[in-house]
Amino acid sequence: MYNLVKKDFKLGVHPMYLLMPVLTGALMLVPGWIYFLVLLYFCWITIPNMFGGFRAQNDLMFTTMLPVTKPDMVKARVTVIVSLELLHIALAVLFGIVNRFLYPNLEYYFFAPSIGFLGLCFAMLAIFNAIFIPMYYKTAYHFGRAAYTSIGFAMLFAGCAQWAGVQSPVLFDLFNGDGHLAQHILILIAGIALFAGCTLIAYRAAVKRFLQVEI
Amino acid sequence: MLALDVRNITKNYPGFRLDNVSFQLEQGYIMGFIGANGAGKTTTIKSILNMIQPDGGEVHVLGKRMADHELELKQEIGSAFGGIDFYMRSRIKTLTDVIKTFYTHWDDDTYRRYLKRFKLDENKKIAELSTGMKVKYGLALALSHGAKLLVLDEPTSGLDPVARDDLLDIFQELVLGGEISILFSTHITTDLEKCADYITFIDNGRIVGSADKEQFIASYRLLNGKESQLAQVRERLISCKVNSFGFTGLIRTEDYDASSGILSAAPTLEEIMVYYAKKEDIRV
Repeated sequence: MYNLVKKDFKLGVHPMYLLMPVLTGALMLVPGWIYFLVLLYFCWITIPNMFGGFRAQNDLMFTTMLPVTKPDMVKARVTVIVSLELLHIALAVLFGIVNRFLYPNLEYYFFAPSIGFLGLCFAMLAIFNAIFIPMYYKTAYHFGRAAYTSIGFAMLFAGCAQWAGVQSPVLFDLFNGDGHLAQHILILIAGIALFAGCTLIAYRAAVKRFLQVEI
Repeated sequence: MLALDVRNITKNYPGFRLDNVSFQLEQGYIMGFIGANGAGKTTTIKSILNMIQPDGGEVHVLGKRMADHELELKQEIGSAFGGIDFYMRSRIKTLTDVIKTFYTHWDDDTYRRYLKRFKLDENKKIAELSTGMKVKYGLALALSHGAKLLVLDEPTSGLDPVARDDLLDIFQELVLGGEISILFSTHITTDLEKCADYITFIDNGRIVGSADKEQFIASYRLLNGKESQLAQVRERLISCKVNSFGFTGLIRTEDYDASSGILSAAPTLEEIMVYYAKKEDIRV
């Protein structure tokens, strides 16, 4: 499995997509922006380009001919996706911290970069993974419909969460007000748990589907 | 020992059926797998390599059931579908560095030897290789991980006659030690006349014959007679072509009566394939 991950990073993932987390993470420095967009760039740019690349390079045929099992092929690809997601999140957190130092007195209209907001970001990516991974592995080749659907639902979640955050004074205060550290940590833990759970379920469903795929 | 034992592989597709495909390849020999386009060669090869799930039947490689020992057996199998057509913009060196990590018996010295033998430059990109060189690179990879069975789908198609001849010579050298066996599919039957020990002929998803080459050819006769003689044998012919001079037709040797006065000759593999394809045309 480790060999497959290495193979993906060496052959399939362009170094540009390892630089992308830095570039999109830097968008956290835009004062008062909708910071959900920072992670959505991963879904909008990295995923379609990366999977388009795998298809153009005939990766499925290449990998199938290697001495590997189908479940390992899925596990490695999910590992690559999750690694890139975590890299995007890590850089966003880093720039988010810089944001708070740069603009200590800024009044946020949308969600401020906070621990609780990070939990929401994990939840958004959980939705993306839960839809994209199993849908893609129905063919392990066509990624368009899987990408549109998963990105659509991730954006819907982000849009609804952000709308609620603006409209509801309670939520606005929870995410942008002072204090509430305990609640923020709880939201973060819930987000991480959802991310891990959804990704695991997505992996299992993808393996089941991929075993039926004829190459 | 059998290098490859294909038993009753069946696979149904809408409009096509791979029907009880069975054949065996002894270790140390070359088997040519022939058939017209769409006859089921690639589907059979994909079934052998577990790339598709057959509806029935099983494949044994080097005495082990492929479905149960896929990982272990893939270490012993070298496979190629035409030439290398993946990661075309990568250099040979980069691709090899990735591939070799998957094989427990990878031998760098053997790899270097084959690179030299096949005149492959490691710094070239896959896209810069000719069709023949791509096939040779695939072979170098397979042989460097100690593959005992090479399963090659149309390795010679797209090659010029010189490159084809060179490749066939390499195939013959490889099996000399008696350890490596080769199954290669082709529709270029002259390749097989040169180097195959065994022939397996598939037509419309069914194995028509699988035997050593001479025995396979000897099991058919090509008849050449007058139009008036056609009625005597028409029922027994696999198919025939009629023209103003008479007819030519393919018949199984057991169905041929030498006393009929109709001239007969040994057919070539191509003629066997063509007349079988003609039979399908008539049926359609």
